[in-house]
Amino acid sequence: MNDKNEGNFDEVRCSSRRTVLRLFLPLLLILPAPLLAQTNRTKPYIPASDGVVLQLVPPATDPRVRQFEQLRNDFNAHPQDAAKAVLLAQAYVDYGRSTGDARYLGRAMAVVQPFMAAPAPPVPVMLVHATIQQSRHFFQASRDELSQILKRDPANVQALLTLATIAMVQGDHDLANRLCVDLTNNAGNFMGMICTASLRSLSGQGEQAYALLTYVEDPGPKAPPAIVAWIEGLMADTAARMGNAATADVHFKKALRLTPGDNFLLADYGEFLIDQGRTKEAIDLVGNDTQSDTSFLVLVTAEKALGSPKAKADMAEMDARFQSMDQRGDHVFMREEASYLLHVEHDPKSALNLARQNWQVQHAPKDVRVYLEAALATGDPAAAKPALDFIDRTHLKDVTIDPLVAQLRVLKPARSPSAVSTSASRSFSSGSGR
Amino acid sequence: MKLRRLWYAVFATVMSLSPLSALAHKESDAYLSLRTDTAHDHVMHGQWDIALRDLDYAIGLDENHDGAITWKEVKDKRSAIENYALARMQVKGDGLTCDMQPTGQKIDEHTDGAYVVILFDAVCDKNIPSKLTIDYRLMYDLDPYHRGIVTIHSGDKIAGAVLGPSNPVASINLREPDRWGEFKSFVTDGIWHIWTGIDHILFLLSLLLPAVLVMRRTDPRSGGWRVRGALSESSGLLMALAPASTRYRWEPVSTFWPACLDVIKIVSAFSLSHSITLSLAVLGYVHLPSRLVESGIALSVMVAALNNVYPLVNKRVWLIAFAFGFIHGLGFASALSGLQLPADAMAASLGGFSVGVEIGQEAIVLAFLPIAYLVRKTHFYQVAMLRWGSVLIVVIAAGWFVQRAFDILIPGFSAFIPN
Repeated sequence: MNDKNEGNFDEVRCSSRRTVLRLFLPLLLILPAPLLAQTNRTKPYIPASDGVVLQLVPPATDPRVRQFEQLRNDFNAHPQDAAKAVLLAQAYVDYGRSTGDARYLGRAMAVVQPFMAAPAPPVPVMLVHATIQQSRHFFQASRDELSQILKRDPANVQALLTLATIAMVQGDHDLANRLCVDLTNNAGNFMGMICTASLRSLSGQGEQAYALLTYVEDPGPKAPPAIVAWIEGLMADTAARMGNAATADVHFKKALRLTPGDNFLLADYGEFLIDQGRTKEAIDLVGNDTQSDTSFLVLVTAEKALGSPKAKADMAEMDARFQSMDQRGDHVFMREEASYLLHVEHDPKSALNLARQNWQVQHAPKDVRVYLEAALATGDPAAAKPALDFIDRTHLKDVTIDPLVAQLRVLKPARSPSAVSTSASRSFSSGSGR
Repeated sequence: MKLRRLWYAVFATVMSLSPLSALAHKESDAYLSLRTDTAHDHVMHGQWDIALRDLDYAIGLDENHDGAITWKEVKDKRSAIENYALARMQVKGDGLTCDMQPTGQKIDEHTDGAYVVILFDAVCDKNIPSKLTIDYRLMYDLDPYHRGIVTIHSGDKIAGAVLGPSNPVASINLREPDRWGEFKSFVTDGIWHIWTGIDHILFLLSLLLPAVLVMRRTDPRSGGWRVRGALSESSGLLMALAPASTRYRWEPVSTFWPACLDVIKIVSAFSLSHSITLSLAVLGYVHLPSRLVESGIALSVMVAALNNVYPLVNKRVWLIAFAFGFIHGLGFASALSGLQLPADAMAASLGGFSVGVEIGQEAIVLAFLPIAYLVRKTHFYQVAMLRWGSVLIVVIAAGWFVQRAFDILIPGFSAFIPN
C-alpha cells in the first residue's frame, strides 16, 4: 500500500448528529480530508413501480448529447490524438458552463489529464486544462498554466483573455491592464475594447466602460449569440454598478433572450432583481430552475425577503445543499454561502468568517460587497480593512458598495478583530492548497 | 479565415468564463458507509450511494435514451451496477481484501438528484479487522473531481474521510487486534474442517475400528483353509477380495483400558505428525503440490482400511497414523492457506486451527470409542462394521485416489461421495 496516498479518518465519539458536527470542527481545520455526518435526509427506499422516473438526464434528442457521442467515439478511436481529446473536453466544458453542471468539468478533465503528463503538453490541451482549473476557482494553478502557455505562444487570444479574466476576478488590475494591451495588439480592437471596458467597469470608470461596450454591442451577424450575450451581460453589470437600473434591466433581458436558461445570467439577473426589490420577478425568473444551486439560492433569498411561507422548507433544502458541498472539502461556493448566511440565515459572524476566506481567493465586486456587508453587520469595521484598502487601490465604484464604504468609514474600530474571527459556528476548513 | 478563428477563440473562452459566479451544481460525489456488526465480527455492512447520473455516464442506465431513468432501468442493470462499483473499491482488514457481497438495491434522494443505493456486506474472511482500509477507485478514470464521502460506524464511534482519485486510500484502527477472538474463530474452523473433511474422518475411523478387537492368528498348520469367524459370514465376492483372511480372526478385547490406550496412541501419533507438517507448511517451509497431497490422503485412507481387511500391522497401528499424519497435515495446511491470514495473526490462526482440528478429532474419538466398546462383541460390529465397512472405505478411497491423482471425474461418484 502506498503510504504517501494514505489518508486518515477523523475519529470522534457520536451520540447525535449535532455532537458529531461539533466535535468534527477542530479536526476539520487540521486534517486534509474532513467530513461531516451524512446529509441525505431521506431513507433509502424501493420505488413504488417500475415506471417511476428517478432521474432526468440529457436525452439523445439533445443535439449536444449527439455531439458528445460523436466526439467521444472519435476520441475513443484515436485515444492518442490530443486534438480529438481537446474537442471532446471543450464540448464538455461548454455544456457544463451553460448548464452549470460541474460534473462535466470533471469529465472534461478526465479526457485531457493524461495528455498533461507530457513534458511539454500541446498548447490546446493546456488551455482546456487551465480553463477547467479556472472554472473550479483554482485560480493560482490556472494562472501558472496560462503564463506558461503565453511564454510559448504570446499571441494566444484565449490564454490572454482567460488570464485577464482571472486577473480581474482576483483584483490584479495591473496585470489585467497589460493583458488587455496584449489582446488589442494580437486580437484587434474588438477584444481589446471588451477587455479594457471590463477593467474600467471595475475601476470606478463605469461611464467609459459602458461607452466602450456600446461600440462593440453589435458585433455583426456572424458573431455567435453567446458572445453577444456576454457583451450584453457586461453592459448590464456596468449599468447596474452605476445605478442605471432601467438600462441594466434592458441589457439583462437582451442577454437572456440570446441565451435562454443560461445559468450564470439567471443568477446574475436574479440577484439584480432582489437588489431592486423586485423579489417576485426574481422568483418567477428562477422558479423553474431549482435543481441549479445558484438559481435555488436566488429563490430562497427572494422568498425570505418576501416572507414567503415556502422560505422555511427551502432554507432547510439550501442548508442541506451547502452541507453536502462542504463534505467534499473544496469550497467554490464561499461567496454565495456567505451572502446566504448574512441575508437569509442572519448569522453575520459566520458570514464574515466565510467572506474573509473567500477574500483569499477572489476580489470581484460581489466578493467585496459581501465582505463589507458582513463586517458592517457584525459592527466590526476593522475586519473589513483588506476590502477597504482594495477599494482605495482600485477605485472601485458600485452603487451597492459605496454606501457600505461610507458607513464603515464613519464607524470607529470598536473591537479587536479576533473577537469575530474565532467564533465560527459553521464548519469550514481553510481552503487548503489554494 | 482569421476572423473565424478569432470568433472560435472568443467563443471558447466566453463559454468557460464567468468565474464571477460559482457553478450551479455540486460535483460528483458518492456516499459510502460501513458499519461493524457486533454479532458477526468478520462482516461489515455497507451502503454505497452513487448518483444515477454518474452511473449513466459510466455504464449507461438510460436504456431507451429518452432522458428519463426509470426504476425498471435501474433494476435491470442491477448486476452491471454492482459489478462496476464493487470492483472499484476494496475494503481491507489488516491488509487483507474482504469479499464484497451485494445484498440489496434501493434508491435514495440526495440534494443533487437520485442515487442508487448498493447494499453490500464486506466479508473479511476469518480475520476480524482491527485496521480497516478503504481503497476507493470509483470514477477515477472518468472524473478526477469525484469524491467518495466515507463514513465508518464502529460501535458508538463514527469516523470518516473524503476520498478521490488523487487520494484514494484511508485507514482507520477500528479496535485493538482481537487475537483471542481470531484464535476462537480458527478453533471453530479447525473443528469444522475435520468434521466436514470426510477423508480425514474415514482415515481415523479405519484406524480406530479394530482398536476394540484383538487379532488372533489361527493356526495355519492345523487349520489349513478352515473358514471361521468373520470370514465364515462372508459372501463369495468378499471371499474373492479377502482370500488371506483365513489365517486370523478378531476377538473382542476383554477390558476397556487396553483399547483406550490403543486409541490414545493412534490419535496422539496422528496429531503429532500432522501438527508438524501443518506448521511447516503454513510457515512456508514445506510446499507440496495439492494434487500430490490430496491423492496421498486418499491413498492413506485406502491403506488404513485395507489393513483391516488384510492385516499387516495390528499392534502398531499408531505407526500408520504417524506416517500418514504427515500428509494429512499438509492437507490441513492447504485449507488454512485458502483462508487469508494477516501476517501478525499467524500465531493465533495456526494455533487456533490446530487446536480446532484436535478438538474435532477428539470429539469423533469420544463418540466412537464407548459405542464401539459396547458393541464390540456383536456380529454386526465384527463383520458389518469392520469388514464390510473397511471394504466400503477402500472402494471410496480408491475412487478419490483415481479422481485426485489422475484428475478424472468418475461419473456418478461425486454425486454420492463428497470429495
